[in-house]
Amino acid sequence: MSDLSPAPPSVPTVSAAGLTLRYGGTAALDDVSVRLGEGVTGLLGPNGAGKTTLLRVLATAVPPDKGAFTVLGHDPGTSAGRQEVRRALGYLPQAPGFHPDFSAFEFVDYVAILKELTDRTARHREVRRVLDAVALSDVRSKRIKKLSGGMRQRVALAAALVGDPGFLVLDEPTVGLDPEQRMRFRELIARAGEGRTVLLSTHQTEDVAMLCHRVIVMVRGRVRFEGTPAELTARAAGRVWSSTEREPGAWAGWRTGTGSFRNVGEPPEGAELVEPTLEDGYLLTLDGESSEVTAA
Amino acid sequence: MSTVLETPARAAGTTHPPRPWAAVLALARFEARELRLNMSFLALAVLYMIWIVWQATRLQGDFPILQNVDRGTQMMPVLIGLAVMLNVNRAVLRSRRRDTDRHFDVLVVEPWRRTVAHALSAVPAALFTAVCVTVQFTWAALKPGAAGHGSPAELAVGPLTVLLFGVLGALFGRLFLSILAAPILLVLLFFAMVFLAPPAGNNWVNWLYPVVSETGSDPFPSDLLERPAAWHALYLVGLVLLIALLAVLVSGGRTTAVKAAVAGALALTLVGAVGQSSGTPAGSTPARERASVTPEKIRKCIEHGRSTYCAFPEWTGRTADWAAVVDRVQNLAGGRAGGERLTVDQRIDARYGLDSDTSLTPSTEPGHVTVRTDWGGNRIPEFAVAVASVLVAGDEKAGTEVCDARMVTVMWLALGGASDPMSALSDVRLDDSVSGPALVLSPTEPFNMSAEQTRIVAELLKKPRYDVAGKVKAKWTELTSPDTSMARVAELLNVSAAAASDGDACEE
Amino acid sequence: MTRALVPPVWRALPRRALAAAAAVGLLLAGIPRMQSGPPDPLVGLYALRAAALVFALGLAFLLDDPARHITAAVPARRPVRVALRVALVAPWAALCWTAALLLVPEEARPPVGALTLEAAATAVLALAAAALVVRRTQATEPGAAISTWLLATGATAFLLLPPHWTLFVTPTDPRWQSTHTHWALLLTAAATTTALATTEPRHPHTPTPH
Repeated sequence: MSDLSPAPPSVPTVSAAGLTLRYGGTAALDDVSVRLGEGVTGLLGPNGAGKTTLLRVLATAVPPDKGAFTVLGHDPGTSAGRQEVRRALGYLPQAPGFHPDFSAFEFVDYVAILKELTDRTARHREVRRVLDAVALSDVRSKRIKKLSGGMRQRVALAAALVGDPGFLVLDEPTVGLDPEQRMRFRELIARAGEGRTVLLSTHQTEDVAMLCHRVIVMVRGRVRFEGTPAELTARAAGRVWSSTEREPGAWAGWRTGTGSFRNVGEPPEGAELVEPTLEDGYLLTLDGESSEVTAA
Repeated sequence: MSTVLETPARAAGTTHPPRPWAAVLALARFEARELRLNMSFLALAVLYMIWIVWQATRLQGDFPILQNVDRGTQMMPVLIGLAVMLNVNRAVLRSRRRDTDRHFDVLVVEPWRRTVAHALSAVPAALFTAVCVTVQFTWAALKPGAAGHGSPAELAVGPLTVLLFGVLGALFGRLFLSILAAPILLVLLFFAMVFLAPPAGNNWVNWLYPVVSETGSDPFPSDLLERPAAWHALYLVGLVLLIALLAVLVSGGRTTAVKAAVAGALALTLVGAVGQSSGTPAGSTPARERASVTPEKIRKCIEHGRSTYCAFPEWTGRTADWAAVVDRVQNLAGGRAGGERLTVDQRIDARYGLDSDTSLTPSTEPGHVTVRTDWGGNRIPEFAVAVASVLVAGDEKAGTEVCDARMVTVMWLALGGASDPMSALSDVRLDDSVSGPALVLSPTEPFNMSAEQTRIVAELLKKPRYDVAGKVKAKWTELTSPDTSMARVAELLNVSAAAASDGDACEE
Repeated sequence: MTRALVPPVWRALPRRALAAAAAVGLLLAGIPRMQSGPPDPLVGLYALRAAALVFALGLAFLLDDPARHITAAVPARRPVRVALRVALVAPWAALCWTAALLLVPEEARPPVGALTLEAAATAVLALAAAALVVRRTQATEPGAAISTWLLATGATAFLLLPPHWTLFVTPTDPRWQSTHTHWALLLTAAATTTALATTEPRHPHTPTPH
């Protein structure tokens, strides 16, 4: 995954311009323009930055107040266009609901029907395929209420994947998963990104570092950064250093396992610079915008 | 993970042609399966089938009247409808309760189409009901003793009721977001149906309810029912469509086509409601008057052996059954009575409506016996009592007034030839007893039987038939004389007489 | 500890469902008074029965607890939690029932004790079913299924019970007394079931893997 193309999408499958959406007085989205191409695009941002709102707008769940976007060439502003977008869409909402009395198979089948997969045999084959893909074949006839949290999350992913959508919108799919489950999930999402456009909202910078070929950072409803993960990491080049004492000038600093301090910010003269990570670049991009960050 | 996504390269855009209505049907099928597998629905469906078997084998008897059987199929589907309504309602509210709305609302099949699918998911249950109703009716119609004509419109009410409850469940689910709303509304609906409707069947409000079952003691000939059954079926069809379309409208399907369809369904419902608004006449109509007062103008008379049997056209097939009873009773009689020509008149008093329990006045014409429209079970020994009383007393009026010792002869004649005389005795008595005083039922007026008469009759019925028959025939004149005492009768028939009391019922 | 549980349990009660059921039940009980003409004892009787059924439908939701998987692990034992829910609702239920009885005009009011027995049996039956479902399955909100079950059973009993087993007779019927013996048996059975079903499970359940 290290050899992902750093170039911006040549043929955007999703392009949005000037998306604005206000809830009451606050702008959840403020003039957001993004272009997404094939592959996994990560969407980072503190809580309340508008990530879920952007995903909901792009998933046609809410119309924007202003601005327009197209998905695979269809304009969701018209009802016919919206239906076309929905036909090409796979959506995994944040903290998805389930029908606890349905089996995994039934639930995904239900979603497949709602995606207009009408031929019964073909649909069942497709449901089995996606359940296979998320490694749930063994428990597909178990009721969802009997499944673990990680399994449920995979059911939701299968529901998003069913019908082979061209545009996959995943809202924090790895929340609440243990490290091994998260690893498996990353693999699934990476595979899903082969030949598709995937927009992945997450709090986990490792997810982005390992999966995404592009990353968007949102703060307060605006796009603060759009580029490759390498570019985001590069933002922290020369701004991460290690020291033996707590550095009062550092914007964020913490004692690491080795006993030394790792600092992010403007380094003093002669500081011992260390290799930055994507998270460092992300934190510096936020630049103290979020109380969340200082707590972290 | 070793699993592989099989389609790494994919074509952008849709891979299947849009078929929105096929998706609705697929969803309806899915939801219908959920309904079918639901415990409450399954339990009630099984109960319904058991009930059909039970009522066809036990309750209905061998002589069903088809214009009553069709109405009899209407009540039980309400129970199925109840289960269908609550389950459809739960299915409609499922995605809201389980918070999958956020996901499903961005899927291709819009909420209003999902509503259509939920409404359609009641169709298989309605078809199941239709099959059950058909089986129930056909079972009755195939019985050799079946008489009369069923009405397809009456038979359609059961399945339509199930459908109506199903679409109501969908509408309630779209109108009220609480899962408690539908059960509570259902209780209100049932309460209103049973207790707030005016009692008379002729009221137009009554006919707004899905099931209007009017049953009295006597089955009417089908041309006297005068129920607006076809209008009512039309009204139900309109109502089903109207409610389903309203549910679609409420869930966001506000297209011109839907609005036009709502208007059309409303018109259909209104046409049905107006058409049925005259209802069933509560009382007399010219046809009912004619059948009640001058039935001889309608009845057909058929001869079996010595006697003549006059039946309403739909009952002519039953005259042979009556003749068998008449022959059986007459064979035990002696004197002139054994060869008397009787006339059996089928009579009904239809002037008080379908709901009424009317009594007929005994005939005063010599040799005429009344038979009602209902037959089978207790009606057979009751008719036998009437035949015996006419043979003994001359006419029906005199027969019902018998209270002296002739009662013993009447009862023995009526019951002595039955296959199980003692149970026939308890059948004709109002309190089902075989001892003590009791009212004895006949097609016209009931009469009294004293304790002593009962005791003697019971004792006679336990004796060998040929033994008693010989004595009855030999002493016929004395046994049919009003002047013969109970003690004398007991002596003639070789039964121990009570010591003290004479024990006839005349002084009561 | 129990006292400390009162406020959270009170907040966790499905109060809207209970209030809706109470309101509709009282509406039903008020129908005989709203009717013109002399009060009909039959309507009074069935208005109260319908009210009792609606109250019971509300009580079917009493044990609904979306957070059951969390509360199942708290130190307060299940009987205490269930008893607390019942205890918090019982006075209101009694109040509603008394109001319903008083709403029916005196001339149309059936024997109060017997009807209260019927109402109590119906309510406890709903509770027993909910307690059983909660114990047997991992359902957090059994109310919806129970309400369906209660209505279906009620309607079936009303339509199909054979004459000598019927539960719904009028006070003038000679079977009034024997029927209420049956109601009392039903109440006892339902109460026993509720009590048994709310005891802590003997074997540890296989917990839902999270």
